[in-house]
Amino acid sequence: MSDNLSYLSGRKGLSDNLFENYVAEAEETGTVEREKLSELANDFLIGDANTFGATSFYDFLKEENKGKKVYVCNGSACLCAGTQKKLVENLSTHFKPEEIGEMCCLGRCHENGAFNYEGNNYSAKTSEEIDSIIKNKTAAVDNYYVGSNCDEPILTSEFVGVEQYYQSLWEALKKSPDELLEDYKSSGLRGRGGAGFPKSYKLEAVKNAKGDQKFIVCNADEGDPGAYSDRWLLEERPHSVLFGMILAGYIGGADKGVLYIRAEYPESVRITEVAVQDLRERGYLGENIQGSGFNFDFKVIKAAGAYVCGEETALLSSIEGQRPEVRVRPPFPAQQGLFNCPTLVNNVETFASVHYIVTEGGEAYGRRGRGRSTGTKLVCLDSFFNRPGMYEVEMGTPLSEVINDLGQGFKSPVKALHVGGPLGGIVPASHFDKLTVDFESFAENGFLLGHAGVLSVPESFPMVKYLEHLFEFTSVESCGKCFPCRLGAKRGWEMLEKAQKDGYKIERQLMDDLLETMEDGSLCALGGGLPLGIKNAMQYFEEELNEYFA
Amino acid sequence: MSTQTTNTKMSVNENGQLNGEAAIKTAFINDEAFQMKQGETILSFVRRHYGQEEVPTLCDAPNLDPFGSCRVCSVEVALEKGGKTKTVASCHTPLSEGYYIYTSSPKMQRLRKNIVELVLTDHPLDCLTCEVNGNCELQTVAAQVGIRDVRYPEGETHLHREKDLSHPYMTSDLSKCINCYRCVRACDEVQGQFVLSMAGRGFDNRIIKGADTTFDDSACVSCGACSQACPTSAISDVFQSKAIKATETTRTVCTYCGVGCNLEVATKSGEILSIQAPYDAEVNQGHTCLKGRYAFKFYDHPERLRDPLIKRNGKFEKATWEETYDYIVSKLEKIKEENGPDAIAGISSSRCTNEENYLMQKFIRAVVGTNNIDGCARVCHSPTALGMQRVYGTGAATNSVDDINDTDLMMVIGANPTKAHPVTGAKIKQRAMKGAKLIVIDPYRTEIAKYADYHLQLRPGTNVAVLNMMLYYIVMEGRAQNDFIKARTIGYEDFVQSIHKLDIDKLEEVSGVDRNLAKAAALAYADAPNAMSFHGLGVTEHSQGTFTVMLIAQLAMITGNIGRRGVGVNPLRGQNNVQGSADMGVQPHQGAGYMDVNNEEIINTYSDFYGVDVPLGEGLKIPQMFDAAIEGRLKAAWIIGEDVAQTDPNTKKVVAALSNLDILIVQELFMTETALLADVVLPGASFLEKDGTFTNGERRIQRVQQVVEPIGNSKVDGQIIIDVMNRMGYKQADYDAKTMLEEISQIVPFFRGVKWEELGEQGKQWPVKEDGTDTQILHTEEFKIGKGVFAAFDWQESAEVEANGKEYPFILTTVRELEHYNCGAMTRRTGNVEILGEDYLVINPSDAEAKGIKHGDMVCIMSERGKADVRAKVSTDVKPGILSSTFHFPEIMLNNLTSDIHDSEAMCPEYKVVSVDIRKSKGEFKRPATV
Repeated sequence: MSDNLSYLSGRKGLSDNLFENYVAEAEETGTVEREKLSELANDFLIGDANTFGATSFYDFLKEENKGKKVYVCNGSACLCAGTQKKLVENLSTHFKPEEIGEMCCLGRCHENGAFNYEGNNYSAKTSEEIDSIIKNKTAAVDNYYVGSNCDEPILTSEFVGVEQYYQSLWEALKKSPDELLEDYKSSGLRGRGGAGFPKSYKLEAVKNAKGDQKFIVCNADEGDPGAYSDRWLLEERPHSVLFGMILAGYIGGADKGVLYIRAEYPESVRITEVAVQDLRERGYLGENIQGSGFNFDFKVIKAAGAYVCGEETALLSSIEGQRPEVRVRPPFPAQQGLFNCPTLVNNVETFASVHYIVTEGGEAYGRRGRGRSTGTKLVCLDSFFNRPGMYEVEMGTPLSEVINDLGQGFKSPVKALHVGGPLGGIVPASHFDKLTVDFESFAENGFLLGHAGVLSVPESFPMVKYLEHLFEFTSVESCGKCFPCRLGAKRGWEMLEKAQKDGYKIERQLMDDLLETMEDGSLCALGGGLPLGIKNAMQYFEEELNEYFA
Repeated sequence: MSTQTTNTKMSVNENGQLNGEAAIKTAFINDEAFQMKQGETILSFVRRHYGQEEVPTLCDAPNLDPFGSCRVCSVEVALEKGGKTKTVASCHTPLSEGYYIYTSSPKMQRLRKNIVELVLTDHPLDCLTCEVNGNCELQTVAAQVGIRDVRYPEGETHLHREKDLSHPYMTSDLSKCINCYRCVRACDEVQGQFVLSMAGRGFDNRIIKGADTTFDDSACVSCGACSQACPTSAISDVFQSKAIKATETTRTVCTYCGVGCNLEVATKSGEILSIQAPYDAEVNQGHTCLKGRYAFKFYDHPERLRDPLIKRNGKFEKATWEETYDYIVSKLEKIKEENGPDAIAGISSSRCTNEENYLMQKFIRAVVGTNNIDGCARVCHSPTALGMQRVYGTGAATNSVDDINDTDLMMVIGANPTKAHPVTGAKIKQRAMKGAKLIVIDPYRTEIAKYADYHLQLRPGTNVAVLNMMLYYIVMEGRAQNDFIKARTIGYEDFVQSIHKLDIDKLEEVSGVDRNLAKAAALAYADAPNAMSFHGLGVTEHSQGTFTVMLIAQLAMITGNIGRRGVGVNPLRGQNNVQGSADMGVQPHQGAGYMDVNNEEIINTYSDFYGVDVPLGEGLKIPQMFDAAIEGRLKAAWIIGEDVAQTDPNTKKVVAALSNLDILIVQELFMTETALLADVVLPGASFLEKDGTFTNGERRIQRVQQVVEPIGNSKVDGQIIIDVMNRMGYKQADYDAKTMLEEISQIVPFFRGVKWEELGEQGKQWPVKEDGTDTQILHTEEFKIGKGVFAAFDWQESAEVEANGKEYPFILTTVRELEHYNCGAMTRRTGNVEILGEDYLVINPSDAEAKGIKHGDMVCIMSERGKADVRAKVSTDVKPGILSSTFHFPEIMLNNLTSDIHDSEAMCPEYKVVSVDIRKSKGEFKRPATV
């Protein structure tokens, strides 16, 4: 984090955005040539080290990415499904080993065998399927079930068409920001990105912050393996997200919205861009929208492969073309965010919930759900379920109902569910009946609802291997800024790896110390969140794991 | 410690702000109540009350923003006594009222130890042979948290990283790096150079220089901030400045520019090992530049003059001091007897202390009996002193450099501070990056011009035209601050009438500055709540230098930007003590304390004080001395620490003048171009070898403290002057900074309350009242002169361009480079010469093409006076038709080209406008042997 770099990048801001320059330059070869990096460093007055340093951070910008032609998903769901080894073998008949790269979670957890080729995502399990994709450029198909247990779905209800959908925006723009903010407050809407922070707090802070320029940023970079609900929203309900952002802009006093979307979701980027263009053409964006005196427009930014950008401050640094390292708070983004300006950062699903709140009223939303977990939640189920897919559930729905009724049970025995992404808790089968889908139930039982992606750990999958995967994931994705995460994740990974190979036994005290150090010491939820799942596993799968400990 | 107070229930919102007004400002450390300060972090709170050692840190540094990477500073915080705690990093967590902070619970002790253990899994365990053994923060913290062993199995490490020894000063051994980012942050937040960053991600993060290159190949400006910031020896320097070899450190003040950085010099057995910048220094807050930090090895360079020399039969011969004094005294006395005292002149040195400058002018006035005393200010800021005196009554900076932090707009005219005043330059840049507006008026696209909101890239010699345009728009757009003008100034009505008559078409045409740009800049300056101006030699070294200074001073008055923090007119003084030398009376028209030597009453005061009659009436300014020497009126000159032969304009004339003297005495560190012409050479002492005071560009009188003994048979310059004074019959006690300062305080009014002991480490800004209180801001209530004076000036074309512009169509302007200082006598004898080894000529690509000159070619520059060959650097930093060149190297002798046209008022030479023509050098350029 550097205020100076934020300022210097902000001199060109979104119009000639530094990060977009990197991404555009890497389009051809997979990396940004050094001369170009130097040119950008001069243009932005930020020095060669910063352009080189920033691009070297990202999977799809760094020099090692040069010449990659196909990327295989290495996310948790594909790992547990065991599809990827065969996939790589099959792909190897078409590509040289150095042309095959990795991507972390393409959001195809519902069918696995996921890979990215020429900017499109596919799932394929057989060599015939792959041959057909590579040779015949078969269009990507992506089928999964979308359902709900709600009488009146909020997020998955049928889309009524742009014109009708935005009617409520024109109505809302007649109200004062304060009036609208009241609706937010009474809705009790909490951030859907994982932290569950009340949305109105952030928005009110942005509204009250001093500054001529403010930003609304949509965090569409939550790359939790197992969760593909953001992808569904961006691809199937982009206007829900855009609507929520425009209204936040009106309330917060911001005239720019930025959608920062994972590169691993190429379709999401394309579809969102089309939706924005549609709004522009309709005159729903720009200066003095529909005579309201309110100005707003969007910028869609495609990310470049770094899980940590899902952390809001890292995301802001990323947009600025800085290394996406987690910032200290305060200052909070609401005070000093993008280009040092007050900024609201919310998750895709959070923005998408706004339309209902505005049309039906905050209190109506607040009545939905359970307790302090108001409203509904999107839950994603992976391919171990008989009916994989994405479901909208009322907050408070029993987890067993999700598993058995919506998911229609498991295809093969599952010993645990990893809920809420890699930083979520590992829920053993014994607890499936004890939990309800809401923030409180999960927290009280020592787990985390998070983003509510549900990943199955099958009976046959060694827990030690799964834990090694979690440490590896954290180590590879760590921004490297804080010591506990940078060093701790690596050492944890090494210990688990070693324990499976050389008869090495992990000292239990050392592992406890390591987990405590990461949990208490880490700067953000990446290093701080990993220990939860590990501790769950050590508690509930003690017997299975015993042989690896001294 | 404050009294215990009842805890009120706190609720902290998302932004860490307290809900509701807090009446009692108390928080608790380990259940003990302490008073809190507005805006402090938990760490600073704990350290203030419990000492530095209570909470260890690795990534925190005194001059850097909190960063929160190491997490070693973690503490537990509860909202009530013994309540549920949360672990937070104390360095970046703001303190709130009623916090219960637990600094060393078993849990925190465990956490710190476990973090440091992780660090040690990727750190070489070679402390005993490491250069920072005993002064390594990691080593200290590891001991503090009680690490005994590393329990992790052997894993991947970064211990194989190669050292970088490419640079003359900077070194790195990144196997020792703990990834605390302190170097990266220092390069960003302190210097603003952005040479360092991290590359890679996670465990593989590693420090890079530039695009993953070496220090030497990067854009590093060698300020050393990273080396000082690094807690281990991962980044260091060739002097190993963090090693504990030194047995002593001495705090003193830098000898280079007028910023006046405080330095901490480490020595062992009378040898200087290294220099660091103290964090507590108000002037430089732990920062300095490569000159201050690294360019000190001139002091014991083999070429240092170690003995007095007398020229006999055209050759210098070593002599004893007695012999030399006898020689000088007999010569001077003979000339005085035969030709009168006015046949003798002195040029004192702004590199010397106040005490020494005072002595030199006293010697010339009281012992020789003439006012022929001048100094380097003549060729740099004499127009500033004169111009600001005319408008305000005081010829010095109105404010302090630290005011940059309180300003909304900075206007930099004719100055390249990142090169010539690097620490101030870095501060200006930092402030600009925090959003303060920046106007740069300069023919050169300087580094800060790149950061500027408005760069008025005028043709050299048109400052008056551009400032008039700005004043015009301020008046015409109704932005003049009439209340201020009415209350505190005179002459405004006539001034406005002249402004109305300005021909903007003409001013726009001659300056090459678009009127809209001038207008926008003017209005930004006028509309800023607080606007501060800085200027350098690009203002003064012109035929209209004094007028330009007066217009800058008036621009501040017309917009009311005077007399409070964050405003004012702030000349960036060149030499370390150029402010002081003028204060001490090193000027032919004013004695010590700026009192007029044409005034009989004042002369009587001086005479009484010195105990001998001192002469009435102005003496010779430096250019007049040269004329007098050529005409035979001046027979003797004593020049201290000023290489006039290399640095004054029109070298041929200067050399002719010096050669025509009966005796030229040169007191120097090195055999400079001027010393070569001398009859007697006196080996003086460098700043590291003496006590005294320097006064920096913000009027701050700071203590210079002797670090080592004068080398060889050299002597403290003040003592040399005293020895001659005594031999010429004037009793002056031996040189002692304290007693000299006492004498000075009795005659210089604004030094009245200055006492050696009381100057302390931060010094004092004059005027210093009898009771010792000093002054940060001048002219707060009224101007020294009473009412500030408005006077209009029309732009006039330089006589140089009028006379020679047709035949010599290019305009050459002389500039300075970061690595070298003026004639380079000192910096050329340090590692700096490995970084920049020659002068260069900057030429616009279109001119280069038209003249068939390529980047790196030698170019012959020709003026009416002479020629010089310089290597070309083709760059768009200058506009077509404009050239710029440095003059640090005697091989080039650039001043063969410059003219002796000077400022109409202060006689400061017009270095900045030289009409020249250029062509590609013929044949192979033969570089002359180094002097």
